[in-house]
Amino acid sequence: MKLQDVDVAVIGGGPAGIAAAIKARETGAQNVVILERAEKMGGLLYQCIHNGFGLFYFNEDLTGPEYAHRFVEKAMDTGVKGLPETMVTGISPERQITAVSKGEGYLSFRPASIVLAMGCREKSRGALGIPGTRPAGIFTAGTAQRFVNVEGFIPGKRIVILGSGDIGMIMARRLTLEGAEVAAVVEMLPYIGGLIRNEVQCLHDFDIPLLLEHTITRIHGEQRIEAVTVARVDDSKRPIAGTERRIECDTLLLSAGLIPENELSLMAGVELDAATGGPTVDETRQTSISGIFAGGNVVHVHDLVDNVSWESELAGESAARSAMGGKGAQGKIKLKAGRNIRYIVPQTISGQNKVTLYMRVNDMEEGVRLKIGNIMSKGLRVVKPSEMLKVELAPEQLEKLKEGTSEIIVDCERRERK
Amino acid sequence: MAAKEKLICVGCPMGCLVTLTISSNKEVAGITDNKCKQGEKYVLEEYQNPVRTLTATVLTRGSLQPLLSVKTARPIPKTKSLPGAIALAGLKVRPPVKAGDVVISNLAGTGVDVVATGNLLS
Amino acid sequence: MSELKTEVLIIGGGVLGTAVARELSRYKVDATLIEKEVDFGWGSTKANMCIVCQGADHQEFSKEYHPSPLVWQSMPLMEPMCQELEAPFNRVGELALFFNNSGKEKYEKMMARAESRGITTHQLLDRDSLRRLEPNITREATGALYDPGIAVTDPVRLTIALAENARQNGVNVITGTEVQDIKASAGGFEVKTSQGNISCEFVVNAAGMAVDKVAALVNADDFVVFPIRGYVAILDKKVSDLVSHEVHASPEAPGESNIITPTVYGNLFIGTPMKLARRGDDATNREMAEVALRNARRLIPDISEKDIINSFAGFLMFRNWELGWHECIVNTSSTVPRFVNVSIGFPGVSAAPATAREVVKLLSREGLKLRENPGFNPYRKAITDFTNLTDEEKRKLIASDSRYGHVVCRCETVTEGEIVEAIKQGAATLDGVKFRTRAGMGRCQSGFCSSRVTGILARELGIPEEEITKKGGESRQLLYKSKELIGGRE
Repeated sequence: MKLQDVDVAVIGGGPAGIAAAIKARETGAQNVVILERAEKMGGLLYQCIHNGFGLFYFNEDLTGPEYAHRFVEKAMDTGVKGLPETMVTGISPERQITAVSKGEGYLSFRPASIVLAMGCREKSRGALGIPGTRPAGIFTAGTAQRFVNVEGFIPGKRIVILGSGDIGMIMARRLTLEGAEVAAVVEMLPYIGGLIRNEVQCLHDFDIPLLLEHTITRIHGEQRIEAVTVARVDDSKRPIAGTERRIECDTLLLSAGLIPENELSLMAGVELDAATGGPTVDETRQTSISGIFAGGNVVHVHDLVDNVSWESELAGESAARSAMGGKGAQGKIKLKAGRNIRYIVPQTISGQNKVTLYMRVNDMEEGVRLKIGNIMSKGLRVVKPSEMLKVELAPEQLEKLKEGTSEIIVDCERRERK
Repeated sequence: MAAKEKLICVGCPMGCLVTLTISSNKEVAGITDNKCKQGEKYVLEEYQNPVRTLTATVLTRGSLQPLLSVKTARPIPKTKSLPGAIALAGLKVRPPVKAGDVVISNLAGTGVDVVATGNLLS
Repeated sequence: MSELKTEVLIIGGGVLGTAVARELSRYKVDATLIEKEVDFGWGSTKANMCIVCQGADHQEFSKEYHPSPLVWQSMPLMEPMCQELEAPFNRVGELALFFNNSGKEKYEKMMARAESRGITTHQLLDRDSLRRLEPNITREATGALYDPGIAVTDPVRLTIALAENARQNGVNVITGTEVQDIKASAGGFEVKTSQGNISCEFVVNAAGMAVDKVAALVNADDFVVFPIRGYVAILDKKVSDLVSHEVHASPEAPGESNIITPTVYGNLFIGTPMKLARRGDDATNREMAEVALRNARRLIPDISEKDIINSFAGFLMFRNWELGWHECIVNTSSTVPRFVNVSIGFPGVSAAPATAREVVKLLSREGLKLRENPGFNPYRKAITDFTNLTDEEKRKLIASDSRYGHVVCRCETVTEGEIVEAIKQGAATLDGVKFRTRAGMGRCQSGFCSSRVTGILARELGIPEEEITKKGGESRQLLYKSKELIGGRE
């Protein structure tokens, strides 16, 4: 395959990119290529050696490497071309891609369509603004995960974890099983940032202390980290004076948020949604620029890889159709976040086809009713920012839409108590 | 005299703190504070026989890849996680290994095999 | 090194010490520079806003100690020096905002001062011209004093370049060596260091934050320097177009200043007022961060907390806080002959070229023989900067060495080839690689590249990965090997 003949170029060879590429081939695109910066395809799944993947997609409980392997094999079988160790350095609004690669040299080509699948990155210490000195021994949870599960190193033996995201809790268990002691998991919110399953199976199973409504107010140590000061926070998340205490540690892991990786999207001129940090997309996952699609964590941060795969397949399918001369979604109805809704993906729908909406709320609430304009209403026992909401709108529900509707407001209302 | 035991249900985001009433002969006499039927089933299993799939790494010999990822072929009793990890720490595997290959049988007396979840090339 | 004899010993591998070393290498002098850290420029040199100022409009507080002449004499030297050394230098220009008439009058006086020193490029801008130049600046500003001469550089890279060029020209440059004691003897000095003893005839004390402590070892003058700490936040490159000039608002008190500046790499820096601090306390705190953001928004309202990718504490050393900003020490000790103290409170980087000349003059007055070094080569090659190559250059480079096709740091697009060059140049730590190549300085702050850079360092230096440090000493990153903590390794 010559790069000049590429129909669909997928940026990123993680779960999103591979799923998109396979679907693009299956939809009929001839030449599909994945550009991946790391040494091999599969993205971060190879370092996620824990299970819990594929419960919905495969109806099986798989580990990260197993989940990745199935997709990588299928990509090879369907004739997707993978270029590992290839770094995309630019995308123009006209879809001109430039990249550098150890094996292929300097690349520049213009595919018929592009799928953005760059995933997300973890918030660093700098982005979190944790005060104190600047010693060694501070890692994001994902970086530590790579060292522990792939490279064969244990960063330290007394660990504090800031943030109760899933990777942080999973690393608490991994490090415990590697013989380290996790002194505390520190969470600013009154509830954990990840899934309940991980709180029980990663923290409770090993009696790892969880400090809710606490934060780190200072890092100590000149060369290697020696301790952190933690303090309780008030309702506005500010540390409460007098509640500080010191926890000795030789390692600090950060698991306090993920940011969609959209620097290439910005170069291409794709419009971003401030709430998701990712491109605004329509129901086919086309971005604001025709011929550029996006799927997976680059659009919004998911909690389950199964949803990443499904969403990216949609992007891959649409990219293939676009490459083959098909028309995209007709008509744009905006979905607007109302009460206690942080975001909705896709940001626009056509109103004509069945569509799955992904949403997150701002705050935890019990006993709520999710209302999608006047077309759907659904009671929910509890909503949490850490747990994504997924709602399917069927064609018969969409028929309720009035002619000329340009906006649908989505609200998460308090349910009337009987 | 009945004892009370509390367990968090992981069935849904609600995370109910379910109360089990335990009779003197260690039988579950009652389940309360759960908001759905699935929760009852989960806490019963979690009380009577809590099990987990153990995932870990093992050291390699004769490969550029320093570690191989592994898991127990079936869930094992939760109390066997740490003994299982300690048993795996002493193991060194040589390539070639394919995903699904057994790397050790009867981990820590559980009767459960440990299988590779990735490939190990030389 | 257990015993070493040298003619001139320079203590301190910051921008001043290395500039002195390079200046001395123009002459046939047997000179040695020792630095306590494992790399150059890691003290107050690294902890600043990277601005090269002219000093032309500064008020003089005290003639004796005032560095302004050294600053304005340095400005014409700085750009050619950076060119010779292939160190970054970018003339961005400065806008000093005013918000009312009294502010304007103050700047009119400053402009007159600059003109009296022969610098006639300053301009007073009204609100409209200011907005044309910088559309994102606050509408509150009624105008600005524009100084087109102000530039930015990368002080650490400049310092590394100075050290390398000095080494090329014959100076013995040693890192990881800390002074423990100094004794004056008839012929000169006996200096005890962490790596052995050095006897020398002349000492240049450019020990930065420890300049007073080193001087006190040999009773060379009695002075104390006070560390003044500020806070600098680094903004993501994606907001680099918010402002293209260094912008500040009129300082209300010595050290009180709001400032935003572009850097040579496209990130913006925002800085806070400086406050007295404990020596060596380079920790940041929440208040600093809040003040920096609040002040920066007074100048550019669109600046967002979300765009901060990192922050650090900046240091200045003042001999006398009461006297204010611009005080320095560049003189031979009045009590110990052949012992020169060098400390520029602010702006050390900007004053370095002329200060180095001044120090050489002082040494000569103390009896150092200066015979020209005919082999002196002022040029030094920087390592490849892949990002700034043309497409054709990139194509050729990767074809000749595939390591340049392997991007290790994705945020700053740093290739394996550049990292290997940096290690050959002397980088032996993660920070050493970072300051030379920017690998790990981007928005993900080394989350992606740290394990890869660790691997390349281990491979190139021929040591195990767990021995790689962040910044030397006890700063190892990876303390144990897999299974080591649960008895899996003998």
